[in-house]
Amino acid sequence: MAFKNIFKFKTLSTAVAAMLLFATTTVMAEAPAAAAATADDASTTMWTGVGYYVLLFVLLATIVGIVGKILRVYDLTAQIQGKKAINWNNIMGVLCIVFLLAGLYGSYWEFTEQGTMSLPAAASIHGVDLDNMFSVTFIITVIVFFLTQICLFWFLFKYRGSDKRKAYFYPHNNTIEKIWTVIPAIVLTVLVITGFFTWKKITNTTEVKGDINIDVTGHQFAWELRYPGKDGKLGTKDYKLTTGTNKVGVDFKDKNSLDDQIADTLVVPVHKSIRLNIIAQDVIHSVYMPHFRVQINAVPGLPTYFKFTPTLTTNEMRAKVEDPKFEYLLYCNKICGGGHYNMQKVVRVVSQAEYDGWVAAQKPYFNDALKKELKMADAKQPKALGQNRLALNN
Amino acid sequence: MSTLAVHDHGVESHDHDHEHHHDTFISKYIFSMDHKMIAKQFLITGITMAVIAMVLSILFRIQLAYPEKTFPLLETLLGHFAPGGRLAPEFYLSLVTIHGTIMVFFVLTAGLSGTFSNLLIPLQVGARDMASPFLNMLSYWFFFLASVIMLSSFMVQKGPASAGWTIYPPLSALPKAMPGSGEGMTLWLISMVLFVASSLMGGINYVSTVLNMRTKGMDLWKMPLTIWAFFLTAILGVLAFPVLVAGVVLLIFDRSFGTSFYLSEIVVQGQVMPYEGGSPILFQHLFWFLGHPEVYIVIMPALGISSEIISTNSRKPIFGYHAMVYSLIGISVLSFIVWGHHMFVTGMNPFLGGVFMITTLIIAVPSAVKTFNYLATLWRGNIRFTPAMLFAIGLVSFFISGGLTGLFLGNAALDINLHDTYFVVAHFHLVMGSAAIFGMLAGVYHWFPKMFGRLMDEKLGYLHFWLTFIGAYLVFFPMHFMGLDGVPRRYYAFTEFPSMARWLSVNVFITWAAILSALAQVAFLFNFIYSIFWGKKTTQNPWNSNTLEWTAPIEHIHGNWPGEIPTVYRWPYDYSKPGAAEDFIPQTVPHSQTMSSNLVHDFEDNEAGLAAFHEWVKANPPREEVK
Amino acid sequence: MMMAQLQQEDKLNLAPKKFNMWIFIFTSFMFFAALTSGFIVYSGGSGKGIKIILPSAFMYSTAVIILSSVTFLIASRAAKQLQFAKQRMFLWITAFLGILFFCIQVYAWKILIDMGVYFINPNASQSFIYVFTSMHLLHILAGLGLLFNALSGSYKNIPQVKNLFRMEFAGIFWHFVDIIWIYLYVFLLLNQY
Ligand code: HEM
Ligand SMILES: [Cu+2]
Ligand SMILES: [Cu+2]
Repeated sequence: MAFKNIFKFKTLSTAVAAMLLFATTTVMAEAPAAAAATADDASTTMWTGVGYYVLLFVLLATIVGIVGKILRVYDLTAQIQGKKAINWNNIMGVLCIVFLLAGLYGSYWEFTEQGTMSLPAAASIHGVDLDNMFSVTFIITVIVFFLTQICLFWFLFKYRGSDKRKAYFYPHNNTIEKIWTVIPAIVLTVLVITGFFTWKKITNTTEVKGDINIDVTGHQFAWELRYPGKDGKLGTKDYKLTTGTNKVGVDFKDKNSLDDQIADTLVVPVHKSIRLNIIAQDVIHSVYMPHFRVQINAVPGLPTYFKFTPTLTTNEMRAKVEDPKFEYLLYCNKICGGGHYNMQKVVRVVSQAEYDGWVAAQKPYFNDALKKELKMADAKQPKALGQNRLALNN
Repeated sequence: MSTLAVHDHGVESHDHDHEHHHDTFISKYIFSMDHKMIAKQFLITGITMAVIAMVLSILFRIQLAYPEKTFPLLETLLGHFAPGGRLAPEFYLSLVTIHGTIMVFFVLTAGLSGTFSNLLIPLQVGARDMASPFLNMLSYWFFFLASVIMLSSFMVQKGPASAGWTIYPPLSALPKAMPGSGEGMTLWLISMVLFVASSLMGGINYVSTVLNMRTKGMDLWKMPLTIWAFFLTAILGVLAFPVLVAGVVLLIFDRSFGTSFYLSEIVVQGQVMPYEGGSPILFQHLFWFLGHPEVYIVIMPALGISSEIISTNSRKPIFGYHAMVYSLIGISVLSFIVWGHHMFVTGMNPFLGGVFMITTLIIAVPSAVKTFNYLATLWRGNIRFTPAMLFAIGLVSFFISGGLTGLFLGNAALDINLHDTYFVVAHFHLVMGSAAIFGMLAGVYHWFPKMFGRLMDEKLGYLHFWLTFIGAYLVFFPMHFMGLDGVPRRYYAFTEFPSMARWLSVNVFITWAAILSALAQVAFLFNFIYSIFWGKKTTQNPWNSNTLEWTAPIEHIHGNWPGEIPTVYRWPYDYSKPGAAEDFIPQTVPHSQTMSSNLVHDFEDNEAGLAAFHEWVKANPPREEVK
Repeated sequence: MMMAQLQQEDKLNLAPKKFNMWIFIFTSFMFFAALTSGFIVYSGGSGKGIKIILPSAFMYSTAVIILSSVTFLIASRAAKQLQFAKQRMFLWITAFLGILFFCIQVYAWKILIDMGVYFINPNASQSFIYVFTSMHLLHILAGLGLLFNALSGSYKNIPQVKNLFRMEFAGIFWHFVDIIWIYLYVFLLLNQY
């Protein structure tokens, strides 16, 4: 997220070394698979591939065993000769320090190397607030993280056991305890208050006017988009009307629905308030558009919505991340079945002019197939009504 | 409540130690009612389940690292679940689901609480056994049955449950929505009902034993922190699990009878379903009302265990014993009012979201206090690095790393972008997964002599610790950054998104780190099994510890102590007390025997003792401390 | 907490076992609390209520179960005064009333069905009536089990301590089941419309 702003530098050489490591292991993993594909007797090669790893492991285990035996023998002879046996407390204490240093460097490396791989700065108005909140939390937690971990492993090294010393009997100190209850409490109060207001600002969007309403319907495993058409109003829906042609169950008795449009891509104009009306048909899905810091679940039977205002067009973002193929995406972020991992829609933010041109070219939802179907249904209507009445009498 | 109307002294008066009814193999090892044996049963079943869940995680990690490759071996092993040597997407989700379920419930609830509450509650409070040994035995066998049923769901044609360990309906309620929501889900639900029954029987026993069966002198403020932790954990379980049952009962009605508690306006694969008016969110409320306390059910025993181990092995009293207890109590109470932080993006009322955010961040305060107190305990200690101590320290490190990311997820605004991403996976694997597993392993190393009368090998323990500790960090630390890049969890492959495909090298790295740490567990398993039979015989009190369990004979007997149960005179943390001959004073040593090391503070509620102490001080004017 | 002071070694562990029962009651209570909160969340969220007048059969069953608590009290007083014949008789009456309660509840289901209030129902508020009553009936079955346990004890001439213990054990649970029903009934009444 906001890492880009916090760390701009990279340490490349270590990355290369690590990548080499990955590469070798990757090749090793490939070996059995590749062999299986070519050889006639796939199963033997398959087992030799596995056997190779098992052997490797057995070898390793043997080495560990031998080292263990050597250590034991060394310990015993040292004891017999009256010398000092291995002082494991010292070894572990040193290892703790080594781990601390390696860990500090490692986490620094991760922050700089992988931190910069995280999302670019927000492309929506509320996303900026969210990113600021993130930075505040990040700075606080990282300080605490380094301080406490350093204390922990430093103490382990400094106070490693020895027969010569006795620990300091120090059961409690009310002042200190009060201090370190109150300080976290204050810090957390700050976080809570800023967080609360950020959250309120993001969710409390009733006063934002001039929305473009877009209907997003999730089902296994795709999203359906419906634009309101010229009247700017989406027609009502009734899930019972869902058929192969009327995919989201639009109710055409509502006049507003007649000019609704369907679209393949979620195209929105920049700097306009967009309201996504979200629902699911079968199971819970989640509308996730990380670049805009937008997420809300799509729940069957329970309409939800999210309002946001994009601030960067797709082209601007492409320039910013230096990737000419960059696209904003909307994807599913709530487990919904086997196809969950591939349930995406491209989102494109464009200028108002481009948007007007695009939207005019979109197909109407109420297409010919639907019209025909509806006519047929009309013909059957009286009979259906009769059935209904019967059902009511029951 | 009224006390017993009739005191039943001598109603049934044969003494336990003279009572040699002949134990058959079955009554001793299988349907045992002895808490020590039941603890071992829980431990061994728990470890078995942990190994299985770990193998499952390696399977799906391989899929994430090599999404395009085929491994013919997988097809040989898994049959139609891995057609052509690649996991099927639905089966991937089954693996994730069963992995999560087993780890959270079967390993870290039953395996952890079941083992150590059973072993330590009677031994550390000084009781002959649990309040109801029979219920205790039932508790284990229900757990065992639940485990078998959970695993047997792999035998079902359509595969095990696959809606995630949180089994949100409608996905889990509609067999049409995914194959795993058919018989697999039914078995999952049956297994979980049995599991809850087991946990409740256990929990009821733990609470009752702690409150009713403490030995003479063991007042609440003299209990070791382990007991406090197990006690509060049991209370959480007793209050939270029934709520899960209520949620599950309604889900069963929806699945099998066609009611509409959770289901509404559903069209599956083009077919309009008759359900109307239900609320999928209702399930989430009921689930997380259990689910959040559940994560504390997982971590609190581990915190208790590590408090005890850290204090013993730093040869120092735990710093701020009272604060430790109060923070455990605070965590327990607060854990019931934070469940909504799992539901910030469900479309829940934003104001409610704000409230849950406040309560969630408040819970960080007691957690912070605990961390600082651990650090203060280590400060100026005389640290003895036993494997148990190392694992306890590992717990502290993970608890910090994972706890801090909780501040991001607990913040409703930040959660918008982090919810259900790998950031969450990283967070909970550190703070609850790794930390609790480390607590459990620390407990195994520390109390192994108590359980089996033998010691585990220390050097193998060191190897096990370092490989696992480093491995766990290598696995889970990079996941944070994937989450920050918007990579969702429960994705079968990241190949469909160019923006995610660039994480492939990291995924390969994580998988190999996971394999490394999985292999490191072989060191543990070997050590564990070998030491049960051939380990070095333990001494009475191998760690020079103060608590009561080390006064019980090494050889297990019914009723724990021959003759009378020892009386307790002091708190369990008198380590390195100035003026004492040794660097530990067991709880059973009266203050009258340790005049030279007593402090005024030791006599807070004991006026006669205080007077005696003052007299003694007058008679023995303080000498210069010999350094 | 008073129990915690129990210092003598209590070989039969009766006090802790009774305490187990109290904790179980908390557990059970949480279960019903969860169900009723579920109802509130559901009906609050969907705007659907029960929308019927409850059948008066529930009134009778309430009377029956309250009566059964009274008869149980008489039985346990008799047990304390060593009047075993009376204890047995009133235990039988209690058990009979319990079974009667069970039957009335089932009968009430029939009335509900006749009213068109089905278990499988697009308005789950109405399904909840069945869930509450059926889950409560499971507890009644358990309670009957405990009653018969106490009864069989009183026939088998077990030591008085044990007899009293079984009576108390059954009593705690029976009164609890009674109170839970009253809670559920009042809850349903309050949500009738
Ligand atoms: C052997 C080491 C472990 C590895 C390599 C591992 C790896 C993973 C990964 C990668 C996921 C996410 C999969 C996905 O979202 O697609 C996952 C899920 C999960 N793991 Fe682990 N894990 C390990 C140990 C544990 C432990 C000790 C716990 C105990 C708390 C645990 C609990 C869970 C849970 C609850 C889930 C979520 C399941 C779900 O999404 O329904 N895991 N694990
Ligand atoms: Cu999905
Ligand atoms: Cu939670």
